[in-house]
Amino acid sequence: MFERFTQSARAAVTDAEHVAREMGAMTVEAEHLLLAVTGTDTRTARVLHAAGLDEEGLREALIAETTRSLAAVGVSVDALHFSPYVKSPKLGHSAKLVLERALKIALARGDKHIGAEHLTLAALQPSVGTVPRALECAGVDRVSVITALSA
Amino acid sequence: MIDISSPADPADGLAAVVALRRLAEQLEAAEVERAMRAGWSWPEVAEALGVTRQAVHKKHAKRLIAAGVQLRRR
Repeated sequence: MFERFTQSARAAVTDAEHVAREMGAMTVEAEHLLLAVTGTDTRTARVLHAAGLDEEGLREALIAETTRSLAAVGVSVDALHFSPYVKSPKLGHSAKLVLERALKIALARGDKHIGAEHLTLAALQPSVGTVPRALECAGVDRVSVITALSA
Repeated sequence: MIDISSPADPADGLAAVVALRRLAEQLEAAEVERAMRAGWSWPEVAEALGVTRQAVHKKHAKRLIAAGVQLRRR
């Protein structure tokens, strides 16, 4: 399915695996794809950076989201330390959804290739879940980012 | 003390489920490593987690070996 992906979109998918592994995640999820996109040399990454979502900003937002979600059930935790898994994590459900939605978005717009922009629009599409909550924690308006990307 | 009660907004409750699953995985990685570094055996760790030896070994052995942890045979 990756044959229609641009080089930067492919790089983002590969990088998302490293990001997930380094963060101690068992699977690659939508937030790891978005984090990987912030590190690409694309217009999409620049739009995200301008909205406050550079790599550092998004990482902090994700930590804030976890802290907030755990606090909602009265749990607080310090960072846990462990040696990373050797194998790359597999794509989790939310990441697979991003890839499927990116393809649909590209088809709907008549774009021949799937790039960082389509991946990002797909990751930002749902209004519930880890990604929109992290954006909320960072004070970033999801719909404005989608509008800026689509412009 | 951890007092788990339902948050007012289901969005917060569902997000807590996601965060707790992630936390459980990370806690397992950290605690299995701590036990093995302290000289526990695979059967002991498996028993304590309530899973098979094969399962715990398959999941954690490679990363602990890569990290240079001295593992007990039995």
